[in-house]
Amino acid sequence: MDAQATSVLNRIIRRIPNKNIENLLKKWNSLSADQLRALDYTRPKWMIVEHVINFCEENRLNLKHITNLEMIYHIENPDQGTWHACQLAEAQDDAVCVELTQFKEQFKLSNPTKLFFHLRIQSSKHEDEAIWIRIAWGDNFSKPNHLKPTYVVHHLHTSYVFISNLMAKHKIFLCQALVIATKHGSIKDGHLSTRSLTAMRDLLLRHYQQVFPNAHSRIPQERKTLSSHPCIGKEHSDHEEMRHQMSCEAFGHSPSPKLETAVYRLETRYRGNGNHTLSDREEFFRGVVRFSSSSLLDSLRHCVASGMAEGPVTPLLSAITQRGRNYFVITDKGPGVSSQASAPRA
Amino acid sequence: MEGRGSAVNTTASRPVTRRSKSYGRSCVEAPSYFWQTPGHLTVLKIPTSRGAARSQLITNKVDPEHIALLVKNEWKLSYVTPLHHFRHTQLKSYSKHLAAFIAAEKQQGVAVEVGLEVGFKVTFTAVLGLAETDEDAETVFIQIQSKPVFAAAADAPKVVWRGWLTCVNGDPEYLRSLPPDFVSLPLFCTSGPESLTTLVKSWFERAFDCNFGSLALNSTTLNWLAALWTGCHSTCNIRYLKLAWSLPSQPPLDVSYTVNPQDAWELWNSIHPEESTDDKIDIKEVQSFINGLETHFFRHFKIYLSAGTLVKVSTALGSAHLDGKLKIGNSDYITTLLTLLTESALLKMPT
Repeated sequence: MDAQATSVLNRIIRRIPNKNIENLLKKWNSLSADQLRALDYTRPKWMIVEHVINFCEENRLNLKHITNLEMIYHIENPDQGTWHACQLAEAQDDAVCVELTQFKEQFKLSNPTKLFFHLRIQSSKHEDEAIWIRIAWGDNFSKPNHLKPTYVVHHLHTSYVFISNLMAKHKIFLCQALVIATKHGSIKDGHLSTRSLTAMRDLLLRHYQQVFPNAHSRIPQERKTLSSHPCIGKEHSDHEEMRHQMSCEAFGHSPSPKLETAVYRLETRYRGNGNHTLSDREEFFRGVVRFSSSSLLDSLRHCVASGMAEGPVTPLLSAITQRGRNYFVITDKGPGVSSQASAPRA
Repeated sequence: MEGRGSAVNTTASRPVTRRSKSYGRSCVEAPSYFWQTPGHLTVLKIPTSRGAARSQLITNKVDPEHIALLVKNEWKLSYVTPLHHFRHTQLKSYSKHLAAFIAAEKQQGVAVEVGLEVGFKVTFTAVLGLAETDEDAETVFIQIQSKPVFAAAADAPKVVWRGWLTCVNGDPEYLRSLPPDFVSLPLFCTSGPESLTTLVKSWFERAFDCNFGSLALNSTTLNWLAALWTGCHSTCNIRYLKLAWSLPSQPPLDVSYTVNPQDAWELWNSIHPEESTDDKIDIKEVQSFINGLETHFFRHFKIYLSAGTLVKVSTALGSAHLDGKLKIGNSDYITTLLTLLTESALLKMPT
């Protein structure tokens, strides 16, 4: 095994807690049962790494196997690094008929001869049938760099592609390959980035419990019902229910996809308290607002439900779920747009 | 002749007076808020207006090396009550005592081995020039260096802990009212491992009969800083005005609003015009400034920032966190910053 293979292997094993290494190696299926039994997972990491490297050399494994292992690791632990979403557009008529083998072929073919990249495509064996692509980039002068691979995830027949660890200079090649392989006309930035691939996928593919405005039904609140004494009545229960309904319509029912941040670049005119010469200015009051939380949608929903945010939920915030983005540039669209502060509800 | 109404005091009609037993202190007096600590005979007032931040080429007054030390680190703030018998002339002896104290404390419980040097070198330095008024005591800077046990002679000792005590523009009435043996350096800034900070504090407490407490900044101080720093933009580019709030949702939501410095300055200027002859800034103007930003935010997001707490204010001139963490970015405005913090320290001290 060459130096690159050993460093990649080293890195994978160092990242995982010892108790999970066994599972990963089993799934990998490249070490014999005896070898697996011989590994002692209570030893220090460097010892385990050494043993595994020795076994790999015994079995004459090479870089291909190691990249397979890395891929299995990422498929099992997708919520690492930073993922960005891209959206395919202008689907051609036969885009819906693209199958996995066809996709693979087309993707591989699109590798322009000038750029050499090492490719690995496989379908994740989970129910979600996603295609995972691992790309190690090289060029005319250097071999593919396996220490900084790009990962791409695409669910066939959806228009979303999730990309992690892509350098700007390689972007155009990847986009070209994706567009050809999926039979679309173009691809553009989705303005959504998170650390959690699962959250991104759930948000864009709507795999969470959405709530639609409905005149008749109200969502039952799963609040911890403090033992309600018959003599205690809540004055504002109507308002509370209404706020709860609004918050769920905007941000979905719990549990929501775990987004962490939302960034808004504001380029609007100043709308502070009146009386200042600033309100009449033509120039924009520029600023950047950044929301962050361990689970952004849950926080925002709680803000609306508890009254910290005024309802109806502003389209700036509900756009996170409705349009599946977390980076926005807000501008004054014109004289018609003037958000008045709504009167506080009694 | 009737006894009642007679002006003559007979034993029967003498009003009963309670004899106050004097055991050194009068037990009959109403417990006074002030009789325990000498010095607090005046009530410190929370100022509602202060002068604008003035830029000072502080390096004219203070050794640039010292200034460089202040600007480099992030400081944790505490307040300290007046020090009894602290002399700026005894700094060398204090250095030795503190070094010995730290060595002794670190060795407690460890078997003493002959020849093993637990190396700590402490340096007390007076940083002259930061004090503004005649009542302010000079700033004292403390540095602890560790001498590694098996160090070669040429190895430079590594600085492991830094701290400084200062008083800038302290309330003059209060300072004048202190008894002559007391020196007030109410603001204590530290940077380094918490264990060393605790040791330094206990040494001070024993040596100078004082008390330390953590100085958490309140939102009013942060508001002042936001306004004062923004006001400096015309003379010194603050590069950004970043305010961070924390809202108590579940899970907690952090909102950070970074305003373009020119726009922030124009907002501040519309509230408190720069050309105004009155150099004093009123607290109402500061509140109006912050309200303006919160309202602009509200118009977009419909979220009440007042439901949360302002946690951090930062510009290129420095940053201050609610927990009492401070970073000084630019030494030119250090006087204003330290004045504000000295004030907070004096107000926070238990009376």
